[in-house]
Amino acid sequence: MSILSLNNISFAYDSTPVLKDLSMEFEKGKIYCIMGRSGAGKTTLLSILSGLANPKEGSIYYEGKDIKKLNKYTFRSKYIGVIFQSFNLITKYTALENVVLSMDIAGVKGIKKKDKALELLKNVGLNEEEANRRVLKLSGGQQQRVAIARALSYDPAIILADEPTGNLDGDTQKEIMEIFRRLAEEGKCVILVSHSPAVAALCDERYELKKIR
Amino acid sequence: MYIIKNALRCISRSKGRNILIGIIVLVIAVSACIGLSIRQAAESAREDTLSTLSVTGTISFDRQSMMSQMVKPEEGKEPGSFDREQFSKLMGSTSSLTLEEYQKYAEAESVQDFYYTASLSLNGTENFAAVTSDTEEEAQSFSNMFGGKGGMADRFNMASADFSIVGYSSETAMTEFQEGNASITDGAVFEEGTAEAQCIITEELATFNNLSVGDTVQVANPADETEVYTLTVVGLYTDSSDESGFSGMGMNREDPANKIYMSYNALKAITDTSAAIEDNENVLSASLSSTYVFATAEDFEAFEAEARALGLSDSYTVSSADLTAYENSLTPLNTLSTMAGWFLLVILLIGAVILIVLNIFSVRERKYEIGVLTAMGMKKGKVALQFLTEIFAVTIVAVMLGAVIGGVTSVPVTNALLENQITSSQSRSDRVEQSFGRGGGGGMGQNMPAELPTGNSNSFKNMMGQANNYITEVNAAMNLTVVLQLLGIAVLLTLVAGMFSMLFVMRYEPLKILANRD
Repeated sequence: MSILSLNNISFAYDSTPVLKDLSMEFEKGKIYCIMGRSGAGKTTLLSILSGLANPKEGSIYYEGKDIKKLNKYTFRSKYIGVIFQSFNLITKYTALENVVLSMDIAGVKGIKKKDKALELLKNVGLNEEEANRRVLKLSGGQQQRVAIARALSYDPAIILADEPTGNLDGDTQKEIMEIFRRLAEEGKCVILVSHSPAVAALCDERYELKKIR
Repeated sequence: MYIIKNALRCISRSKGRNILIGIIVLVIAVSACIGLSIRQAAESAREDTLSTLSVTGTISFDRQSMMSQMVKPEEGKEPGSFDREQFSKLMGSTSSLTLEEYQKYAEAESVQDFYYTASLSLNGTENFAAVTSDTEEEAQSFSNMFGGKGGMADRFNMASADFSIVGYSSETAMTEFQEGNASITDGAVFEEGTAEAQCIITEELATFNNLSVGDTVQVANPADETEVYTLTVVGLYTDSSDESGFSGMGMNREDPANKIYMSYNALKAITDTSAAIEDNENVLSASLSSTYVFATAEDFEAFEAEARALGLSDSYTVSSADLTAYENSLTPLNTLSTMAGWFLLVILLIGAVILIVLNIFSVRERKYEIGVLTAMGMKKGKVALQFLTEIFAVTIVAVMLGAVIGGVTSVPVTNALLENQITSSQSRSDRVEQSFGRGGGGGMGQNMPAELPTGNSNSFKNMMGQANNYITEVNAAMNLTVVLQLLGIAVLLTLVAGMFSMLFVMRYEPLKILANRD
């Protein structure tokens, strides 16, 4: 059974259509790659999937439930973890604080959040000293890892990542993709938006979006 | 909980902005603290003075009311013209209240205590002379000033009477002794309520006549030297309150040294004896004055209505010199309090506008942060609450600091402003005095201090020469009420400034913010 499904989604910016009658199915344990040229609607689709934008037509189902009926804040803070292209970390916080804040927003209880956050950061390749550094003092690759740790902090079932390797060198790209693979093996549904064929090659399923004329 | 933690973290990570907001709030808080303290000091002074004030009232003939009846011209006369006949008629138709009437009004519920005095002017005799410092020329000059023989001075015995005899209904009525201004130095005071001709005289008068306790003196009817009364001196006293201010003016009886005190009943015995003399054309008559004592100012306010209900005519009015003096004493502080109120309002308005603008800029600057937080699933309301907590935390710290600074400075600042206010009031009074040709330096001028006093109040004379006991210094201006009011201001400023930033937070859409940034 799919964890997330899109049924005949359409979206337009004012009078400019971006997505039309789009239907997709996403399952746990797989890495999906959404590909397409610039302007094909990849980021728009990711925004719809993360609940930041509402489709003009069609429905999205999370575990069979229409997400319109779910609280959008709860959906964003508990069920889905988003890794933005530009990371969208709070720059005046440390890496650790960004991750802990994410757990606070999700209402994570019963664990030592700081320890869990340090463990997550360690899993994505950041040591304690780096974890306690302000985000602005970390490299692009390290910030990407913090964004991944933050997305995983409240243990969501779906991970959405917008061009997760776009700003990274080859080795770091490889390391990041290995992390996603590990997450998929742990049973998470990983949806990547990328125009990189190399990334697409490492994914289990691929969807290609075409620009509407 | 995490909202508070986050708010505090944000404050520590944006020191510059928060220090700027803090300084502005600090200035507002110090100003507000001083303003509130001045108002509180005025209120405390009012309450403290009222609580210690012994409110007394008197009933007197209402001349103003009579004059208002006078202005109604009779037919055939020009409007506003003064009708002497009518004036005399009205004056003649009014009579002084009797002791029985005064006692009747004392039954009013509001009256706590009641006492009365009677006063009479008597002359000395060969073996008992009044203390005088005037030369014969001065006495003659005074007599001439008031019409000479057969004139006003003669008619009213103004120049000729030697002694002022005062009869008291009780020891409570002897206010000079009650207040500690006068005290017995030898012998004892006459028995309360006695009808025996016992009296106490000043030490000065005793020395002047070589008298001691137990001696007898003889006083005479000023209009009939053969009508003589013998009094026994039972005590000698000094009166410190009368040492200054007496200018002589040829009236011996006005000299404090020539005041003789006795029981009301003893004085009444003299006037009764005088009245009993057959075919006496110069019967001695005493003027009666009564004093009603009230527990509170409210009781005094209620008294007039009660007295009217008991039959007090509209021709008489009820007044309280204590309350008038009390109101006068607060005038500079009240003026300062009003000014402080306006100052406070302006400061709060300007402060609120500055804080609103700063917060709007701050929220706009943190637009990205709002976008990230809401994209992460934090509700807009919680984001707004975090921002509000930040403003509140900065405001509360600044207000507390302002309260400390304000608390330390409010007393000297209040006193400095009060001193200016009193000086200003006094300068105004001086100008009026000069305009009336009385010279500067404070009304009648003789008792005006060269420097402002350091005590809590001091006497100043107003244009009519009456003393104004202005409150010139406050010892404590700040109290719990001021602190609570400051906290109220902190909450108000937070809400006002925070409300605008909350509106901005609620308007922002995370997708737009993040898309624009990308």
